[in-house]
Amino acid sequence: MLTFNNLVKHRGTQEILSGISFKARPGRVTGFLGPNGAGKSSTLRILLGLDRATSGNALIDGKPFAELHNPLTTVGAALDGSGAHRMRTGRAHLLWMAHAAGLSRSRVEEVLDIVGLTNAAGKRVGKYSLGMGRRLGMAAALLGDPKILVLDEPVNGLDPEGIRWIRTFLRERAASGNTVLLSSHLMGELAETVDDVVIIHHGKIVADGTLEEVIGNHSTLEEAFFALTSGLAGDVV
Amino acid sequence: MRAFNAELSKLFSLPGIWLAFLIGAFAPAVIAALDSMAQKEEIIAGVSTRLSEVGYIGLALGVQGVIILGVLAVSSEYLTESSESGGGQQITTSLTVVSSRLHFLLAKAGAVTVISILLSVVAIMTTVSATHLVLGEYTPAFEWPKLLGAVCFWAFTALLAFGITVLTKHGMIPLAVLIINTSFVSFSFLLSKVTKLALYLPDRAGFEMFMFLSNRFLTPFTGGLVMFAWVVVLFIAAAIVFHRRDVAS
Repeated sequence: MLTFNNLVKHRGTQEILSGISFKARPGRVTGFLGPNGAGKSSTLRILLGLDRATSGNALIDGKPFAELHNPLTTVGAALDGSGAHRMRTGRAHLLWMAHAAGLSRSRVEEVLDIVGLTNAAGKRVGKYSLGMGRRLGMAAALLGDPKILVLDEPVNGLDPEGIRWIRTFLRERAASGNTVLLSSHLMGELAETVDDVVIIHHGKIVADGTLEEVIGNHSTLEEAFFALTSGLAGDVV
Repeated sequence: MRAFNAELSKLFSLPGIWLAFLIGAFAPAVIAALDSMAQKEEIIAGVSTRLSEVGYIGLALGVQGVIILGVLAVSSEYLTESSESGGGQQITTSLTVVSSRLHFLLAKAGAVTVISILLSVVAIMTTVSATHLVLGEYTPAFEWPKLLGAVCFWAFTALLAFGITVLTKHGMIPLAVLIINTSFVSFSFLLSKVTKLALYLPDRAGFEMFMFLSNRFLTPFTGGLVMFAWVVVLFIAAAIVFHRRDVAS
C-alpha cells in the first residue's frame, strides 16, 4: 500500500505540489495521470526518498522510504530512462544492484529473461534504444521481486509489442496481490491497464477513484481527463 | 557491507576506471624514472640536494590516477543519459537501492579508499623498481614510514577528489583543478609564498608525510593529521549537502 498524505513541495518561489493525498492499493493498478509538468514525477520522487517534501509525507506500507531496510525487495522503481550509466553493460548494471540488495547472480539472469533483454545484456547501455533502456529499468525494478512497483511513464518509448507486454505484465502483477502505481500522460494506453485513476493538474489532485468513477458520464478516460484538466469541472473529485 | 560490495562492483564495471588504474600504476614510475635520470650524475657524484626525494617525487606528482578514481566514483552517478534515452541518471537507481544516503556515501568512500590503497601499493612497487632500474646501486633506501605516508597521501587525495565532486556533482571542475594542482601549478605552493598558512593546505601538509627533509614545516605525523582533518571536514560538508539535496535539483 502506498499512502500520500497532503504532500506539498516548493521549489524556489514556485509551489509544485499543493496538498497531494491519495492511496495506491494492493491488488490494483493505479494510474497517476496528468499533463507534463503537473507534478507526477515530483510526487513519485518524494515517495522514493529522492526529493524532500516541504510538508506532508508519502509512506510505503506505512513507512517512509528512508526507513525501509532493503528497499529493493519492498518497492521496485523505474523512473527516467534506464537509470544506468551508459558505459556499463545492462548486465553489469543489474549486477551491482543485486550486490547492494544481497541477491544472487541468477536473479539477474531471471529478470533479463522476463524483460526480454538476455541477448542485449552484454551491450553497453549507451547503445540501447529508448525501449531497451525502459526494459532495463523494468528489470531493475523487478530485481528484488518487490510487492510494490512504482513506474514513471513506463510505456514511453516502447513499441506496440512492448506496450502490450507491459500491460499484460502489470495486470498479472496486480492480480497476484501486488501494488502497482504508474504515471502517464498517455490516456489511451492507460485506460486498458488501470483499475484506479488519480488525476493531477497544476500540483493538485482533480480526480481520484476507480476507472469507472473517474470516466463517469464521459465517453472515454481521455474525454474525462480533458474535461477535468481544462478547467471544466468534472463530477468526480 | 552489501552497499560497499555494490560500490566496488560499480567501479570495476566502469571503463573509465581502468584509465585511472593505468595512470595510477605507471605515471609515478615514469615521473620517478625521468627525475632519477635527470639527477643521476649528481647522485653518483654525491652532490645531489634532492636525494631524499628520489622516487617519492613520482608518488607525489603521480596521484592523478586516484584523483580520476575519486571524481569518477561520484560524477558517474550524475552523468545524464541523452534525452532520446530518457534523460535518466544512475543516482536515482543508487538511492532507490540503498535507503540511507549517509550509508551510500560511506560505502562509496570506503570503496574509493580501498582501491586507492591497493593502487598506491602497486604504484610504490613500480616506482621503486623504476628507480632501481635507473640508479642501480646508487638508489637510496626506501623507508617504510615514508612509503606508508605515500599510501595515506594517495588515499586522502582520492577522498578529497571524492568530496569535492559530491559538492559539484560534475567531474570536470574538480578533475581540472586537482590535476593542474598536482602536475603543473601547485596553488598551495604559490600561496605559501604569500602566507605561511598555505602550508596547512591539504596537499602541502600531506607532502610532509613522505617528502621534504630540508624545508620541513610539520612533522610527518602532524602533516598527515592536517591532511586527514581536511578530508574529514570536506566529507562532513559533502554528507550534509548530499543529505539535503533533491536528486531533481
